[in-house]
Order: sequence, then structure tokens, then C-alpha cells
Amino acid sequence: MKNKLFEKYFVFSPYFWLVLFFFIPLAIIFKISISVSEWGMPPYQDIFLFDNGFKINTTFENYIYIFSDYYYIGSFVNSLFLALISTFFCLLIGFPLAFYIATSNVRLRNILLVLVVIPFWSSFLLRVYAWKIILQNNGILNVILLNLGITSEPLQLLYNQYAVIMGIVYTYLPLMILPLYGYLNKFDLNLIEASKDLGLNRFKTFFKVILPLSVPGIVAGSLLVFIPVVGEFIIPEMLGGSDRLYYGKILWEEFFVNRNWPGASALAFSGIIILVLPIVIFQILYSRWSQKNEI
Amino acid sequence: MDNNFLVIENISKSFGDNKVLENINLNISKSEFFGLLGSSGSGKTTLLRILGGFEKPDTGRVILDGTDITNLEPFDRPLNYMFQSYALFPHLNVFNNLAFGIKENFTKKEIEINVRDIAELLSIEHLLNRRIKQLSGGEQQRVALGRCLIKKPKLLLLDEPLAALDKKLRSKTQLELTTLQKKLKITFVFVTHDQEEAMSLSDRMAIMKNGLILECSSPEEIYENPKSLYTANFIGIANIIEIYKKDKFFYSDDLGINFKLNKELIDTKTNILLRPEKIKIQSINNLKTSSFNSFSGEILEKSYLGSFTRYEIKINNMIISVLDQNFNSNSNYNFPKGEKVICSWESESIKILED
Repeated sequence: MKNKLFEKYFVFSPYFWLVLFFFIPLAIIFKISISVSEWGMPPYQDIFLFDNGFKINTTFENYIYIFSDYYYIGSFVNSLFLALISTFFCLLIGFPLAFYIATSNVRLRNILLVLVVIPFWSSFLLRVYAWKIILQNNGILNVILLNLGITSEPLQLLYNQYAVIMGIVYTYLPLMILPLYGYLNKFDLNLIEASKDLGLNRFKTFFKVILPLSVPGIVAGSLLVFIPVVGEFIIPEMLGGSDRLYYGKILWEEFFVNRNWPGASALAFSGIIILVLPIVIFQILYSRWSQKNEI
Repeated sequence: MDNNFLVIENISKSFGDNKVLENINLNISKSEFFGLLGSSGSGKTTLLRILGGFEKPDTGRVILDGTDITNLEPFDRPLNYMFQSYALFPHLNVFNNLAFGIKENFTKKEIEINVRDIAELLSIEHLLNRRIKQLSGGEQQRVALGRCLIKKPKLLLLDEPLAALDKKLRSKTQLELTTLQKKLKITFVFVTHDQEEAMSLSDRMAIMKNGLILECSSPEEIYENPKSLYTANFIGIANIIEIYKKDKFFYSDDLGINFKLNKELIDTKTNILLRPEKIKIQSINNLKTSSFNSFSGEILEKSYLGSFTRYEIKINNMIISVLDQNFNSNSNYNFPKGEKVICSWESESIKILED
């Protein structure tokens, strides 16, 4: 009887996890986002007031404020765009790499997988900082370009959106490669040979056989890159310039510079809803589609 | 018959230090059903993959219908390859699997007609809308076959075409496959490790071992007159008896009897083959005399196989296998264990093995 009870709770453990680390924090953020801000610590008023009888003290001002100022919406759009482009490049670079790793022999495969994972062993901050050194005006890349005579003066490689995209693609590439590899690893190579045997060249075989059968891996890798990049704060902060503002940075500033916790919470909460809802809908549609197609 | 339809010339192939094929030469005629038989590691699949274009030979040429195809890519070869795993596309239904190879060059209507025709030929019309996972092994095999045949190839290569089917289905499919091949007159080359399958399907077959072709002939010839000890043992059940010349006769130490041979021997010592179904057994009571090519022995083991009974008969120091057809319907017909019997055979049944 006790065992059965344990099993029952064990089955629900992912949901406990989800409630404890996702829904409760989300609820707290929502609570702060509808509070009235004030100077003090914490910088917002309680939502339940008891001094002159019970009173609910909430406001939607913060949401109105955010959605009426393009500064906030624009930064979110920038972040979405950044995530989209970065995911695309991660896929473009990651797919051939993952395919090569998955189809090479066991010894080479293990070496390559270790090489993919090695960057995780050093600090993420250090690696992004290293790019700063490489890309700066008197950095390695500019020195090489100058000495080769390709440019006559140092190029401004740092502090723009391109540096941000590059930094993100570099950082998030393993997150694209690993799920793709996991999926392509199970790929029946005979299918490629069968396609060629039936008269399709490499290019057509890729689009008719390899790509359609890799969709689950592509979806998994893309979500793993796309979602965290939307909220990415450190890379735009270190490599980016003032040409584009990103959502993560705006959030940081609202919280820590402006000390506008309710405003920042409203921004965070809106971001999650805008991001999570389409992804949930996509996942439902996708799982239906893949069930129908038995991939 | 033009036996230069498919010419395999001096093909050698190594993977690293491992020599997989050594100087393979074969000529295969148009509309022939040709089998490559060998145990695993004999190089038979590598040879088939070279024909399909999936491996490049180190030396040699492959000529199909007068054209050198050695360096052509698989998608440029006028042949098709049926994979052992069938390699059907899981993301497409049966119709689209069948149409996969003709989608490019045909109109929608032509594709429809072609797919219907091939589905009818293989009696899989009712499966066209199914997904691959919803098919049984036998149905998958038909779709894989249809996907190749729809391209009307000059040559069809089949890698272990029946290995994935269960035993009953296999013998049914064997028959269908030969009928189909004779009807379409397409040249079939297939690989198998199953000697029964090779015998029943092939017009001619090649026995492969360690990257070499040991023998190449019709199944009857290979079964009845094998040249090598390996082939004799590999195909069917074989009683191999070592004999040497003693005066005018050939003597076997193990059996302790003299043999009369039709052919003169060059060596003084050799192996002879005696197939178990060539041996006649009789009760010791109703036989008059023992003579050349007969011996008396004792039944050690017996296994009833339905149409045949297999006996293991000990004579002197050797155990000989005998297959005796169960001619009578009386179940007491079989000889019991421990019975003394006389075995005899025609002297033509003795085959001399060259090596």
C-alpha cells in the first residue's frame, strides 16, 4: 500500500517540479506586475491592504505603460528577430556537423562529440570575453586583416548586432548539434542509398529524404536555441552596441537601474506569455502532425 | 544466349588491410536469375554493393549491356537495388514509396497508371494508402520490390531478399519471385547465405568464400558434382570419405571397405563425396551378399523429418548420414535404433572432390 502511494507521487514528480520552479515563480512575477510601485524595499505596495478594512490594491498601469511605449515592444521584437536569425545560422552550421558526426565511425564520432562539448567546460563569460579580444580594433582578427593588406584601417567588428549574432551562434551551437545528433544517429543510412539508387542525386536526396526525416531533431534543436536567446542578456551586453536594444537588457535595466519592479515584472510576464503560447500551440500541432506521419 | 550482359572483370576490393574481394570474374546472361551464395564475410554483399554503385572497386570493371558502369554514381546506373532491410521511406505512404523513383520524369497521370500497374502485378493495390509501419514483413518486401521494378531496370540486385520473412512465407515468396522474374525477363542478381534459397531461386549460382569465387554453375551441377570440399559441405548434407589407392582399388581406412571408382585418380589420396539420399538401406536379413560399394552398419540415431527419415549409421570408425524416403505410409516402416542394416549405392553416385 505504501509502495503504491510512492509510485503515485513518483509519477507526479515532474509536475511538482514544474509547479515549484515554474508556476510559483511565475505567479510571484505576476503578483508583482500588478502591484503599485513605490519608493522603498521592496519597491512596490502589497496587493492586499488591511489598514482600513480589506482592500485589494492592484493596477494594470504597468502593462499599459509597457505596451504604449515602443521602446519596450521594439526591444522584444529585436530579440525575437535576433533569436530567429541565430537559430537559422545554428541550424545551417549545426546540421552538416551533426550529420557528419552521426555518420562517422564510432571512434571519430566520440572524439567529435567531446570536441562539441568541450567549450562547456570553460566559463561562458570567459569565452564571450575572448571574442571581445579577437574582434576589438587592435584584436587578432584586425591585425591579421591589416597585415594581409585586406583592409587599410581596423574594421569596427565589435559592438554591433552582427557581433551579437556571431557570439550567440558560437555559444548556442552545441545546443543545436546535440539534439540533432541524437536524432540523426538513429537515421537508417540505407534510406539515403535507396534514394540514390532510385535516381535522386545528393541534392534531391537531401530535400526528399534526409530533411523530412530530420524534422523532429530540427524542431528540438531550434527550440533549445530559440527560447533562451530571446531572453539572452550577457552576449548583447558584452558584444553589442547601442544600435539595437534587446529584451534581456531592457529587463535588467528596469529591475536594477530604474528599480521599477512592477514594470519589469509586467515586461517579463508579457514576454513569457507571448513566447510560450505560440510554442505550446506549435507543440500541440506538431505532435499531431508527427503522429499522423509516424515520424 | 548472350552471356555478356553483365560482365564483372577482375574486381578486387580491400577495406584497409582486409581483402574483401580478390580478382572476381563473372559473366551473367540477360534474363538470368543469378545467385551469390556464401557465409558471412565471404564478400558477397560487397560485390553486390559494387554492382549497385555504393562501393568503388580498387581494380576491375563492371560492364552492363555493353556500357562500362564502374565509375557511375548509383543514380546514374540503369539498375536497382533491393535492400535487406527494404529501406522503405517511413515518411511516405505505399503509393509515394512506389512512385519515389519515377516522380521526376513522369506526369501525375503517368505516375498514377504506373503505380497502379505495379501494385496490381504484386497484388498490393489495397495497400496504397497505408503507411510503411502498418505493413507486415511480406507486404514490405513487395513494396520494396515494386519500388525497384517500377523503374524497369535492366538489372535488379537483391540483398538477402527473403531473409526477413518467416519460413512459410519464404517458400511461397520464393516461388512468386521466380515466376515474376521469368515473366518480366529482368536480370536478377541476388545474395544469400541460405543454400536452400540459392538452390531454389538461381538459374546459376556462384559459391563465394573469403573473397573468392570457388564455383559457378547451375544448382544441380553444384549439388551433384561439387569440385571442392568446401562446396560439398556447404550445400546440403555431405558424407566425405577419405580414400587412397591400394593395389587395384581405393580403400577407406575409416569405413574399412574398398571402393570401385569410374574415374582414374591422379593423386594417391583424395576425398570422395557420397550424398545421403544416394544410399539405399536394407535390412540385413533380406540381402544376399555384401560386395563393392556396400557395407553393413548399425543405426545410431534416427530423426523422422516427415517426407524423409535421417539415419546416422555407424560403420567401422565412421558415422554416415543417410536420407531414406518414407515411401510407405506404414509408420512401422522405419528401421529402429540399433538395427543392423546393409547400405549400398551406385558407383556413379561417388563423386571425387578435386580439392
